[in-house]
Order: sequence, then C-alpha cells, then structure tokens
Amino acid sequence: MSEYLYVGKSIPRTAEVDKVTGRAIYINDLKRPGMLYGKIKYSEYAHARIKHIDTSKAKKLPGVRAVLTGCDIPDVRVGFLKDQTVLKRDKVRQFRDEVAAVAAISPEIAQEACDLIEVEYEELPGVFDPFEAMKEDAPLIHEVDARGRPVSSNILPLPWRFSAGDIEAGRAASAHVVTDTVRTTWVNQCCMGTSGCIAEFDMNNNLTLYNQANVIFWDKRRIMEYFAQIGLKNSKVRIINPVVGGSFGTKLDTDIYEFIAIQLALKTRRPVKILFTREEEFRALPPRQPAVFEIEQGCDKEGHLTFRNVKAVLDNGAYTSWGATTPSVMMMPISSLYRVPNVFFEAKCVYTNNIYCQAMRGYGNPQATFAVEVSMDHLAEEAGIDPAELRLINCNHSGDETPMRLKITSCGLEECIRGVKEKLDWDKKRGKHKGRGVGMASLIHVAGGARVYKSDGHGMMIKVDEHGHVDVMSGGTDQGQGSPTVLAQIIAEALGFRPDDITLTFGDTALGLWDAGTHASRHTFIAGNAALRACEKVKRQILELAVEEIPKLVKHQIKRKKRKDPDFKEPDLDFSLIANPEDLDIKDRIIFCKKDPENPYFRTEVSNVLREALHVGTGQSRVVAAEAFYDPPTEMLDREFKGNLSCTYAFGTTGVEVEVDKKTGEVKILQLYAAHDVGKAINPTLIKGQIYGAGYIGVGYGLTEEMKLEKGKVMNPNFLDYKMLTAKDKIPVTPMIIETDEKDGPFGAKGIGEPGLVPTAPAIANAVYDAVGVWIKDLPITPEKVLQALKEKREKEK
Amino acid sequence: MIDYQYLKPKSLEEALSLLESYGERAMLIAGGTDVMVGIRNGKFAPEALISLRGLEDLAYIEKDNDAYRIGALTTHRMLETHPLIRSELSALYDGASQVGSVQIRNVATVGGNICNAAPSADTAGPLLALDAVAVLKGPRGERNVPLSEFFTGPSQTVKELDEVLVEFRVPAVMGEYGSAYHKHSRRKAMDLPILGVAVSLKVTDGKIEDARIALSVAAPTPIRAKRAEDFLTGKMVSEDVLEEAGKIAGEEASPRDSLRGKAWYRREMIETFVPRMAQKALERLKNR
Repeated sequence: MSEYLYVGKSIPRTAEVDKVTGRAIYINDLKRPGMLYGKIKYSEYAHARIKHIDTSKAKKLPGVRAVLTGCDIPDVRVGFLKDQTVLKRDKVRQFRDEVAAVAAISPEIAQEACDLIEVEYEELPGVFDPFEAMKEDAPLIHEVDARGRPVSSNILPLPWRFSAGDIEAGRAASAHVVTDTVRTTWVNQCCMGTSGCIAEFDMNNNLTLYNQANVIFWDKRRIMEYFAQIGLKNSKVRIINPVVGGSFGTKLDTDIYEFIAIQLALKTRRPVKILFTREEEFRALPPRQPAVFEIEQGCDKEGHLTFRNVKAVLDNGAYTSWGATTPSVMMMPISSLYRVPNVFFEAKCVYTNNIYCQAMRGYGNPQATFAVEVSMDHLAEEAGIDPAELRLINCNHSGDETPMRLKITSCGLEECIRGVKEKLDWDKKRGKHKGRGVGMASLIHVAGGARVYKSDGHGMMIKVDEHGHVDVMSGGTDQGQGSPTVLAQIIAEALGFRPDDITLTFGDTALGLWDAGTHASRHTFIAGNAALRACEKVKRQILELAVEEIPKLVKHQIKRKKRKDPDFKEPDLDFSLIANPEDLDIKDRIIFCKKDPENPYFRTEVSNVLREALHVGTGQSRVVAAEAFYDPPTEMLDREFKGNLSCTYAFGTTGVEVEVDKKTGEVKILQLYAAHDVGKAINPTLIKGQIYGAGYIGVGYGLTEEMKLEKGKVMNPNFLDYKMLTAKDKIPVTPMIIETDEKDGPFGAKGIGEPGLVPTAPAIANAVYDAVGVWIKDLPITPEKVLQALKEKREKEK
Repeated sequence: MIDYQYLKPKSLEEALSLLESYGERAMLIAGGTDVMVGIRNGKFAPEALISLRGLEDLAYIEKDNDAYRIGALTTHRMLETHPLIRSELSALYDGASQVGSVQIRNVATVGGNICNAAPSADTAGPLLALDAVAVLKGPRGERNVPLSEFFTGPSQTVKELDEVLVEFRVPAVMGEYGSAYHKHSRRKAMDLPILGVAVSLKVTDGKIEDARIALSVAAPTPIRAKRAEDFLTGKMVSEDVLEEAGKIAGEEASPRDSLRGKAWYRREMIETFVPRMAQKALERLKNR
C-alpha cells in the first residue's frame, strides 16, 4: 500500500471553528431584508371535521401581514402518496395538522395571531393503534385516495412483500425454531438546530428557498411539481442551505412548513421565515417509524440458519412520508444479515390518527435489526449454541450473494464479531445471570450508495486558480457529518495539494450538479468517487499546462540569474524528461519531474504554472476547471425487491457489558465496543466521532428515548421528559476500526454515517438477558419494564 | 404576548412594600429557573416580577450554636461547594448537587426551589429530613414554619402573598446525624426525580436513636414518612429492620401514575431506596 499524505490522517475539522465560536450562520441567524415571520396554527384534535374557521380577529392584529387557511390557497395534494394538503380544510387527522398560518412582522405577533384564530371542530372517533385501525369497523382516516376514489381500509396501498427460497422447506429442515414479537416506538431525531426555512420570491416569481434539505435536488423537484399545480410552472427554484445543525433524516422530505412559508411569501410578496420551536420539533416533525414485528427463525442441528419469516405492522400515522418506505431497508437485515437461505418478509403500513413518520439515521434498519438480533440470541439459547458462535457459523463473507441479491464485496463481519468477543472477554463473562451480562448484535447496511432513486449520482466541479486555491462545488449537502473535511483530504491526496488549499461549497442547487442527497451513508463514498474522477481531469489539465510552461519558467529563471550573476553557469537540463504530462506529478502543490524529483529547475508551485498559462498577453489564455459525475454501477430493486442497490456494504458488531440493578430495573452500560468495517478510515477521528454519536443515539434508542403519545398527542415535547442522554450520562464507547480496503471505495472507504446506531439496542437487550434472564423485546428497555419482567419471572419460577 | 415589568428592589423592606402594592399582580423571582419557564409555558402571567437578586445579603451559609443558617438566596452551587453542607448536612449536598446542570445551579436558589413547591423539588426532601425551619418575613413581622408544615399542595405553600422567605434554619443537633438523599431519575443531569428519598439517622452503638425519612414525588407535596421513622427509632440497625422501614414508608406514600413514572414503580423505589439511603447515611456517620 502506498503512503498517503492526508488520507488516513486525523485532520481536525476546519469549518467547525466558525461553529464553536458562534460565527456560523444557521437558519436561526439568517435574515433577509423586509423579512416576515410565519407561524402555524395546528389542530386541537387527533381526528375532527373542521366546521368553521374565523380569522377575523387575527387579521385585525397590528403587525399581521397575512392569514391563510386551506380556503385561501390552491387545494393541491402533496407528499409521498399525495395524501395531504398544505393547509387542511375539511378534516384534521392528527394533532400536527396545519389548519392556518400567519405572517407577521415578528414571531411573537404571528403566534398571537395564530392564537386568535378560532376553529370550530366536530370531533370524530380516532384510532391510535395500527392493529385496531386494520379492523373492519375502525374509523377511516382517509375516505378517498389521492385521485378521489373511495377507500375502504386504513391499510396503505404499499405492498411490501419479499420472498426468497421456500419457508416451508426451511421449517422442515430446522432442528430449532423460535418466534418472537418485537416492538419499537417513536423516537425524535433531536437535531441541535430546529427546523426552519426562508422563502423569498423575486418579481418574476422565481423562488429562493433557504432551507436545511439534505436532498436539495429532490426538494427542488417536489417544489417544481407543486408550482406546476398552483400556476407557477414557469417559476424557477433555487435551494440554498445555510449551515445546518444536524439532520439525522429529518430533512429528507419536503415538509409542510416549507410549502406554508412559500404560500405566505407569495401572498405577502416578502421573504417569510418559519422557524420551529423545540416543542414544534417534537410535535410537528415526523419522527422515526415505529414497527411491530412477528419474527420466526430456525436453524439446523449444527446451527445453520434455515429460514427467517418476518411480518411487520407499521403505524404510519395520518399521512405518508418516508416512514412508510422504511420496509425497503428493513428487508436488508431481514434477508441478508447472516447467511439465511429462505426468507419471507411482509410489512403493512396502517393509517392511524398518530403523528406520521419520516426517516431517521438507519432508516428502518435499527427496527428490523432489533428484531433479527434478539431472535438470534433466542435461537442460540434454544439450540444450546453460544450466541457469538451462532453468528460466526452464519457469518456473511466476501463473495456472497444474499437472497436480496446484494453482492457482498469486502466483508469484515467475522473480524468484527471476533474482535468484540475478545474485548468483552466474552467466554469468561457470558452466561452467569448474576446481574452482569454481555450481549452482542451485528449489522449490514448500504455503504456504497443506495439506488433508491433512478440516479444515485453525484456531480462535482473543481477549479484551481492562479493562486493555487482549489474551489470545489459539490451538489451534496453538509449537515455536520464531517464529509467536507474528508472530501478535502481525498481531493488533496488525489490532486497533490494540501487540505487547507481546498474550499468546498455545498448545498446550492444553482452552484452544484445533481446529487441524490446526503443520506444512506453515501456521501463519502459517492462524492469521494466523483472527487477522484474530477481530480484526475484537473490534474491532467495542470500537468498539460506544466509541460508547456515549465520550460519557459526555467528559461526565465536562468535568464534572471545570469543577469544578476554574470558568472552563473547554465545547468545542463534534459527537457525531454518533462516532455509529457505523464512525466510529471504533483505533491504538496509542487509539480516535479518523476524521473528527477529533486531537480530544483523542474520543481515549481502549481500557481506559477497556472499564472503563466493565464496571463499570456494573447488570445491563448487558459484556466483549469473540470467536472465529474459519478453514478455507481448498481441496480434499482426489482418488483420482487431484489437487486444490488449498493456498490458495497458496511458490516459491524456492537458488544456491551451491562449491570442490571434487580431492585430498580436500571441498566448500566459498563463497556460498549463498536467494531465497524469502514473499508478505509480516511479520517480516523471523524470515524470515531460517527461511531460515538451513533452509539449514543443507539443507547438512547435502547434504554431511554421514546415519544409518549396519548390518543395521538405527544405528551413529552421537551428535553425534560424526552430522555435524550446528556454529557453526564457518559457511555464508555470504544470504537474499533476494521479496514477491509473496499476496491470500489475512494481510497478504499465505505460509508459509516448510520451503522453505529443500528446494532446498539439489540446488543443491550441481549446483554440484559444474559445479566438477569429477562428479555425486553419492546423498546426502550425502561427500568419499569425490566422490573416488571423480573417480577413475572419470579412468579413463574415459584 | 409575554410582557411584564421587572422590578429590582435593593432591600427587603423595599421588596415587601412592592409586594404589598402589587399584591396578586406580582410574582417574586430569584434565580428564575422555575418562574421564567412557567411564564414561557403560560403557567404564570404576572404583571410584574419582583426580583430578589438585589438582596445579596440573603445568600449565605452559616453555623452558630443553635442552628445552621442558610439564606434563601443561596444558590444550589453554593450549597454544593460548601464544605459544611457536604460533611454535616450531606443529604442537602446530595439534593442540591443533582439539580439541573451546573449552569442552572449557579443561578437557582434554595429558597426558590422550596417556594416553587414542586412535589419533585430536590432540596425539599433533604431539608425535611434535616428538620429545617423556614423563616418568613412580612408586614406582620417574622414567623418560623417547620418545613413539614410549609407545603400545602402542589405549587402551594403557607407563605402569604405579602411574605418573603428569607432563611432556613437547620437545628445544630442535625450535624450529629448521618444523612443521604437519592434522586431517582433516568438521566444524570437535566432531569427531575421520578422519586426522591432522604434519610437522616442518629445512631449510638448500633442503636437508632432518631430517624427522619422524607419522600418527594410520593404524594402531592414532599412528605415525611413518620410511621417508618417511629418504627426505626429505638431499633438496632440491621438489614431486615431497614428493609421493613422501606416497606412501611412505601405504604405511607400516596404516589400516582404520571407520564414520568407509574405509582407501583414509585412505591417499589421507596421500598428500595429507604434502606439504601439509610445504609449510606450510616456509612457517612462511620466515616466521619
């Protein structure tokens, strides 16, 4: 392996200095001249008919510039299944339903005006449980579909059904079979920066939308679609990201507040900003999709998995966003985590009057992996095999093609399992059931893009100017994930520059080429590959110029020296050594001759060459710029939901040791090892950062975090009652970086954004079982649940 | 819209006269960590806030022959970092040091914590178990109210609208007790207790001479578990005795189901933590 100057080095994040010193401009800080503030009036019922809305008092309030209800704007449907309108005018189906909106000269006045809007409702019976909602006599959430055709059921028309092999044959071949019911609940993404946007139209009705979207080109597409339906089909749309304070999936879909800001801006002809409060973030932002799984799994006498049969029910909430598509990712662990020949998976998404859901780090994978991995431990116990051993027996390996037709390239899973096992001192600590226990769980995730859209591409433009400054325009976005630093390292390495020379611009549809978004742990892999291709072109251009310019520069130099020193002896230079671009290379911004690298006459700063090429005094001046568009050679899932949707896959294993207080039910994490196959760690510190962060969210998911809903209402919309872990609840996370040098990855790298979270909760559940002999299969694993289960166990044993 | 006058008297007399003239339209504010949250959430809408922050001489921790004297404006951080509190009134150290975060403890006052009268107040249990007396000043003069008689309901106290809480007095004899407080919460910071248990014990040669047990979030107000205290008094220390005291205290409590915890769970935590805090108090006595 060659020695890298920057790849593999823990270079500090450069852009973050502005963040920690308070200089970075978030949406909170951003103001536009003449800007108004928008606020939204939400429903007061989970399910009700709107009988009357009286906005007269709100309109009279000084400082109010516009009050809108569903009757004031075009009745256009938006969303993934086009099952909602921007402002609701006939019926509300959840507490977050937007019934009116106000623009005013201050957020306080806008809020006061919202409070002055009087809405008369006729309450309807609600349904808050997906199993209840599937019953024949359940109240219908939607009476008609997007095309106005009557609907007879709350079950969404999304037939998630995956089948490979033969479940019956698998069952017949099994020596051991286990079944489990596993539940996961709503959790909030808890971004540090709350949601917001500014919508601004020019006099030609072209829109600039400052927002936090992490898929800016899809955001633009959705808004263009909306414009086509509201009579603005000739308008142009530009999306610009300010600095974004975290996304974790929340900015994947275009949210209703964005359409509302657009409507308020259209009405007032002024820029309008909507900025969520933390309460709104909890009540009106789509959280992680909850799911209930029935999982059946079997193995033969030797422990080889024979089949996996999973049925899931998802509480879709009142409308459909990306939450309803999480089964497409659930399929991945269900079909492909460990070698399992016969797989069946079916998921039903059901409308209820609860909050609707969206994407969150891991996108369905944490839910499904919780089911698979708890079942694995259960099966291990049934078969009398050590759970780590069962995983090793069925371990995925390089060269496998899974039932979902995922082609496993590099695979460090075995190393991850063995590594965690060793660190935990597994064999010594397991099976004691004396209040302390160990548990593990693994994961598979896309790590080389994810072809969920027809283009999984990324465009990158790079220019180098006469000062040697490298400006990079990426179509991607930066939500704080660290890939700007990583990309600077990749570009510096590939171009022969320094990371400090490189300035990246993200998140602007006008400046970047298409990108399918910063999601699915794809940015480093896809943008990195685009960067390598763009760098190749840029470097070629520089070296082509160098071939022409270096001899001239050398001659100038000799001439100057002679002038200064008449005794100067002209060196005997062989210019044929630098006659072709292939003869030259760049390192640390210095162009040099490969065959004579130390020759000072053939060494020159890139900027010297570029300056010479630009300021020529004739019509021949030239600049250096290139673009590359990388779309990975992957497949869309076919009608059977099979296909190799990613170039490569991430694997990892989390192992934990816990201590359970049998009298309080509290679970304390003593050690957490997170081993991840990252391909190649381009920046080890940033990888660790991703693993720490994901580990924390994973522990929250496993132990403390839940949105508590009572009849559709979020009862804990604040950080006091939503138990996100604090700095004081430090978890001893030890990241273990496994490098497998992925052949298709930029410098061998794979994606790492989501994986760390995925196996954390099941590893904890399995460790709790090992410690005290109770399995909590219902997240989060609260002290109450543990204590209750311990009591039930004692009752049974009596 | 949130709108109020902010008044900052320079003396207690001035504060009392402002209170008198504004009556129900005014609220006292000290650290503000409860009042401001209440205003923002629409729980309070006072016309005026009378700030006690100008009365710096009400922030002190002293000890004389009769009592430990703690000024009402003493912050939680002051309590947490004062050696006297940590070594002699340990339960109060336990309670004060676990409120919110350092930033909050730097401004939040012990007087405010008690006057806010939340069933979950983290200094209430310790002060109850330490037999504290609240000193109130008003137009009718000064009066002393034992903390066990101070709370009348959630967010309700015997303090009259025109009175100001100025001091807590903990009998000097309490310095001979060992004490401990447990805040049972899901997180180690920025959290409220699901349940709080404070225990103080006076023990001679293994015999419990006096016991005080206080529970928070176990009833509409912080309470003393007097039957459990009586049970312990005069008994020799043993695991069984402490366990039994926990059971009795659990029966005395009237916890409720709430979003933050179920009644059955709270009751079990009383049973668990009364003996655990008693043990901790005993250990502290031993290590003195």
